[in-house]
Amino acid sequence: MTTTPTSPRRATPRTRRSAYAYASALAATALVLSACSSGGGGGGGGKEEGVGEDKTGAANYSVGTKDDSTGPAPEVPGAKKGGTVSVLQRDAFNHLDPGQIYYVDMLTAQLLYNRSLTNYKVDDKGRVKVVGDLATDAGTSSDGGKTWTYTLKDGLKFEDGSPITSQDVRWGIERLYASFETDGPLYIPQWLSGDGNDFRKALPDGPYNGQHLPASVLDTPDDKTIVFHFRRPHADTPFATAMPNIGPVKADKDTKQKYDNAPFSSGPYKVGDYKVGKSLTLVRNEHWDPRTDPIRHQYADRFEVSFGHQFADSTRRFLADQGDDKAALSFSNAVAPEMTEKVLADAGTKNRRFLEIQPYVDYIAFNTDRLKDVRVRRALAYAMPNGQILQQNGGATAGVVATNLLSPAMDGYRPTDPFGKKAKPAGDTDKARELLKEAGKLGQEVVYAYPNTDTQQKVAVVVTQALERAGFKVQKKEVDANTYRTAIAEVKNQFDLYRCSWGADWPVSSTVVPPLFDSRQIADGSQNYSHLNDPKVDAEIDRISAVTDVKQAAPEWQKLADRILTEDVPAVPTFYNRQFSLWGSRLGGVKYHPVYGSADPTAVFVK
Amino acid sequence: MLRFLARRLLGALVITVLISAITFFLFFALPAEPALMSCGKNCTPDAVALINKNLGLDQPVPVQYWHYMAGIVAGRDFTVGHCPAPCFGYSFSNQQPVWGTIVDRFPTTLSIALGGAAVFLVVGTGLGLLAAAFRGTWIDKLFSSLSLVGNALQIYFVGVVALAVLVSGLHWMDNPAYHPITEDPVKWFTGMLIPWLVLSIIFIANYSRMTRSLMIEQLAEDHVRTARAKGMGRRTVFFRYAFRGALAPVVTLFGIDLGSLFGGAIITEFTFSLHGLGRLAVSSVSETDLPTLMGVMLVGCTAIVVANIVVDATYALIDPRVRLA
Repeated sequence: MTTTPTSPRRATPRTRRSAYAYASALAATALVLSACSSGGGGGGGGKEEGVGEDKTGAANYSVGTKDDSTGPAPEVPGAKKGGTVSVLQRDAFNHLDPGQIYYVDMLTAQLLYNRSLTNYKVDDKGRVKVVGDLATDAGTSSDGGKTWTYTLKDGLKFEDGSPITSQDVRWGIERLYASFETDGPLYIPQWLSGDGNDFRKALPDGPYNGQHLPASVLDTPDDKTIVFHFRRPHADTPFATAMPNIGPVKADKDTKQKYDNAPFSSGPYKVGDYKVGKSLTLVRNEHWDPRTDPIRHQYADRFEVSFGHQFADSTRRFLADQGDDKAALSFSNAVAPEMTEKVLADAGTKNRRFLEIQPYVDYIAFNTDRLKDVRVRRALAYAMPNGQILQQNGGATAGVVATNLLSPAMDGYRPTDPFGKKAKPAGDTDKARELLKEAGKLGQEVVYAYPNTDTQQKVAVVVTQALERAGFKVQKKEVDANTYRTAIAEVKNQFDLYRCSWGADWPVSSTVVPPLFDSRQIADGSQNYSHLNDPKVDAEIDRISAVTDVKQAAPEWQKLADRILTEDVPAVPTFYNRQFSLWGSRLGGVKYHPVYGSADPTAVFVK
Repeated sequence: MLRFLARRLLGALVITVLISAITFFLFFALPAEPALMSCGKNCTPDAVALINKNLGLDQPVPVQYWHYMAGIVAGRDFTVGHCPAPCFGYSFSNQQPVWGTIVDRFPTTLSIALGGAAVFLVVGTGLGLLAAAFRGTWIDKLFSSLSLVGNALQIYFVGVVALAVLVSGLHWMDNPAYHPITEDPVKWFTGMLIPWLVLSIIFIANYSRMTRSLMIEQLAEDHVRTARAKGMGRRTVFFRYAFRGALAPVVTLFGIDLGSLFGGAIITEFTFSLHGLGRLAVSSVSETDLPTLMGVMLVGCTAIVVANIVVDATYALIDPRVRLA
C-alpha cells in the first residue's frame, strides 16, 4: 500500500517543506500536548495554543444509521448555486478510474464524480460517520461477520440517466481482478478471493470475457442487493466499501485502461474535459439526484482543476485573493512552508484556512533481521531526534512529534509515549547510550538508508548526529528516490534502519498494525519493512481482527501497537502529519476531510 | 537558393533520423525493466508481460525501432487500440497516444518561445545598437551594467518577484496562463506577457552585449570607413553597412536559442505554472513514461534542426557569400 518513500494516501511529499525551519523544538513540544489532548477529548472546538487547530480526534468516528444514510445532505447555511470553483493542484492526477485511485488528491477529487457503496459523512465539527452512499445503510453483517449485505437506494442514476443496479456495482468490483487494475486498494477482492495477488486467479480477466465470481462469493440476487461472502470475518467492512473502487461501473462504458481518462459519473459532477497532466473540468451531472445522496451537494456549476501549481504559487494566489483566485481552493496543496508565518499573521485568512492532523505517520523502521538485539533497537528509538526531524520536514504546520505508532486521527488513539518523546523531542541520548552499553554494543555500526530528496538529506544529518551522540556509528546510505521503496521493501536489503511513512486507509487501525507488523506479510515488496516476526503479535492480530464491533476493536489495536512498540521495537514513529490549507475568500463550505486528510469539496459553494 | 535549401533539408532529415535512432536505443535498450517501472504497485508478472507486449519490448531493439519509425508515417495498432499517424507511440501512463499530448502542449511552448524570442531579439539588439551608437557615453555604461545585472539573474527569482509585485502586489497583470490565441487573442497576450518579459531578461543581456561589441567591431571595418568617407549618411552607414555585418552572428545565436526554447522552457514553465513541452519532458522522466519522453525529445530535436535551417536560409539572405558555400 505504499509507493516511494511516502504513503499512498499522501500527496504532499515533504520535499516542499524543506526550507521551513522557524518554529523551535519547544513549540513543537507544546503542540504535541495540544494534539494529544484533542485525542482523548472527544473532538470539536479549535485549539488556540500555538498554531494548533486540530479538530480531528480519535473519538470522532462512528457508524451511521439508516437515517444518517438518507439524502439529501443537510443544507449549508448561506450556500447558493452557481459559479466556478478553481482547484489548484501541484501534482497531476495519475488516475481518474476509481479502481486505480489511492492517493489523497484523487481520493478527494473522485468524491465529486464517483459514488461508492458507503462513504464518510463529515459534519461541521469534524465528526465522521460511515454511512450508506449508494447503499441504504452502512451494511448488515451475518454469519459472524463473514457475510455482508447491502441494498441499493431508489433513484440512483449514471450520468446518462440509466439506473444504477447491483450488476453495475458487481462489474465495478469484478474489474478489479483484471491485471491492469494495479494501483487501487484491494481489500474487498482479497477478502473475497485470496491474499496478495492470489485473488486475481479467481477471475483472471475480470468480467471481460463473460466470466463472473460465483454467487457463493459475490451475489446479486436482485437489482438492488449485493452480498459479499468473505473468507474470514471483517468487522470494518463498512469502511472498506467506502473506498472509491467499491462502486458502480457501467459495463458498456467500461473502456478498461482508457477508463482512466473518461470515468462514467455516478456523482453530482461529471468529466467535462480532461487534459491528462494539465487540467480537468467537472461539470454538473443533471441525472444526479440529491435526495439519494447524504453527503454531497451540487452548489457550484463547475470545478476547474489545474495542475502544476507549486505550493508557493497556490499559497501566493490564495493570499493575494484576486480575481478568479477568490473562488479557488486546493484539495491537497499545503501552505508553502516559507509563507506559513505570513498566513498565520494575516487576520483576513482566519476564516479561510485549517490546520488539521492527518492519519499519516512518518516513522523509521528497524530491520529486525540485522538488528537482532532488542536493546539496540530500543537505544535507537530513544536516541531518535523526533523534534528535529519534524523541523526538517516543515515544523509545526507540517506535523506534530509522534509518540506512538498510531496517528491521533485514528479511532481508539491514546497518547501513550513509551520513549518519552514529549519530554525529550530531541531524543534521550543518555538513556540510549546506557542501553547500548548494557548490550555491550557501544560503537555499533548501523546503516541508515533514505531517499535522496532535499528533505530527507537534511533529516539524515540530524538523525546521524543524534545517533552518534548516543554511541552509534552511522553509515549513511542515500538511495535514488524513485527506487527507494523497492529497495527497502526487499527482505534481504542491506540496511539497518530506513525512513518510512504510513497512511491508514480508514480510521480503524486494522489498516495499520496488520500490514506493518504481521509476520505472514513478510515478502519482497510488502510493507512489513521491519520484518517483525513475532508469533504472539500474529496471534493477537488474528484475535482482534475477529472482533465484530469496530468500536471495541479500536482500543485493542492501540494496545497491540503499543505492545509492539515497547516490547519488539521494530520501528520508531517520528511525527504525525498535518495538513495546513488556505483558500479564496469567495468560497464557502470548505471543510477538512479527516479520513483523507484534505479539503473536502462536497459542500463547497461560491459566495 | 533552392539547391541550397534542398541540400540543407536533406542534411536535416539525416540528422533527425540519426538522433531518433540514438535516442531510441538509449531509452529502450538500456533500462532493465521499463515495463516494471510503469506497472503500478500491485504489479503481477502477467501485467509485466502485457506491458512488454504492448510496448513491443519482447522484440529485438532494431525491430522495435523500425515499428516506431513506421508508426510515425503510417500509424500503429496497440492492444489497447489504434494509434493514428503520426504515431509517436502510446503512453501507458496517460492512456493515450503520445502525439495528442504533444499537440496539446506545443502551442504553449510555441507561444512562450516566439513571444519571448521576439522580445529579447528586439530589445536585446536594440539596446546593443544604442550602446554602440553612444559608445563611451553614460547610455553605453548604463546599458552595459544593466546587461550584467540581467546576466546574473535567474528566471525563478525574477519570475517570483514579478508575480509578487505585478500580480499580487500592484494587480497590474493577470496570473500567467495559456489561452489559445485562436480563442481569445487579448487573453493570450495578457496571460503570456509576464513569462515573455521574465524569460527575455536573461537573454537580453547576451544579445545587447553581443550586438554592441559586434557593432563596434563593424564600425571600425574598412568598408564602413570607406562608406563614411564617400559621404554617406550616418544612419545609412550605421544600419546598412555596419548592422548588416553584425547581424549574421546574432542570427546564428538566435537560431540556436529559439530552437532550444521550442524544445521547452522548463524553468519558465514551472515558475509560471504553464504546461509546455518542458514540463511534459520532466513529468515523463519522473513517471518513466518512455514513449512520451521519446516523443518530446524528437519534437525538440526536430525544432532545433528546423530552426537551424531557417537560420541558414536567413544567413544566406543577409550574406550572399553563404550560398556558394
